[in-house]
Amino acid sequence: MNRISHPFLYFFVLAGTLFILVSSAGSMLWGNAAPGQLHWTEQLFYGVCHRLPDRTYQIGGAFMAVNTRCFGIFAGLFAGWLFMPVYGRYTAGRRWPLLFLLTAAVFQIVDYVGNLLEIWQNTLHSRALLGALFGFALPVAIADLFINQKQMNKT
Amino acid sequence: MEEELDQNASPDSISFGDFMPSASLVGLIFSVVTFAISLAMGYYQISSEPSGSLLSPAILSGTVVCLISILAGVLAVWHFTKEVNPYIKLGQGAALGFLTGAVMVVFTAVFGEFWNFIDPEYTEKLVEATIANVEAMDLPDAQKQPMIDSMADSVRQQETFLSQVLWGIPVTGVLNLLTGMIGVKIFAKKDRQETF
Repeated sequence: MNRISHPFLYFFVLAGTLFILVSSAGSMLWGNAAPGQLHWTEQLFYGVCHRLPDRTYQIGGAFMAVNTRCFGIFAGLFAGWLFMPVYGRYTAGRRWPLLFLLTAAVFQIVDYVGNLLEIWQNTLHSRALLGALFGFALPVAIADLFINQKQMNKT
Repeated sequence: MEEELDQNASPDSISFGDFMPSASLVGLIFSVVTFAISLAMGYYQISSEPSGSLLSPAILSGTVVCLISILAGVLAVWHFTKEVNPYIKLGQGAALGFLTGAVMVVFTAVFGEFWNFIDPEYTEKLVEATIANVEAMDLPDAQKQPMIDSMADSVRQQETFLSQVLWGIPVTGVLNLLTGMIGVKIFAKKDRQETF
């Protein structure tokens, strides 16, 4: 862990992204809410996700608390943060991480608009995958700020 | 002016209070913009005939509002580096981003309470329009009912100020914390090294 230059912040954000990811599983992982009550995970994501049932993963009628795109973003975010110490050394002083983030953001917008204008139809999995790409690109864009360059040079 | 700011600035001199102007200003602007978009789309949905489309105006506004609101962290750091201190550190940028997200949630909840005085029937009218839209969808009844229940519960149970703030801050705060760090990467100046 000597590779990480801000260990407290790194683990704080790792815990935060893990909390968001496991909460997003909604009633699929946390059981159903009482009849007439809103699930606590739905309350948590109320302001950030529309959670349309036909755009949300479900198992046996138990839905996630967020739609597939948001789930992809949160999963990508957690994975990108978790593996930051592994890929971080390849991002230092490079421009590609920011370009990667911009490209992932543009993909989101193009996919959203194309589907909205009925040029093509995206699917649950395609939305989740593109979301994961964008989520992964966020920690990649700032990975160099967390990497201890002196330690990296030694190894 | 900027040069003067540059000469007197140091990341170690930044206190929590220094964050407040940027967090308050950017949080206020973003909450006004996102609240206005939600309201405009909400009234558009209320006044329109139910289309039966899954992507109703209220749903579309939710997506747009979400995308806009995560940019607040970046903008707050940009404002901070321009007006307060260009040498903001990574952790300070993260804290500023989180604070901006929290301020945004609080202001949005305040505007919601304010709008309840101006148009007390707005929430109920939006729930009715949303239900009418779902009923117009070409879906089996077994699928429609859970959608109607879920959407109606979502809108009604988020009415209290406290629940909006307490449930809203964690996710909006963490997402803006992340974008705050991106703001540091883009806008912050590197800490000056002592040379002898």
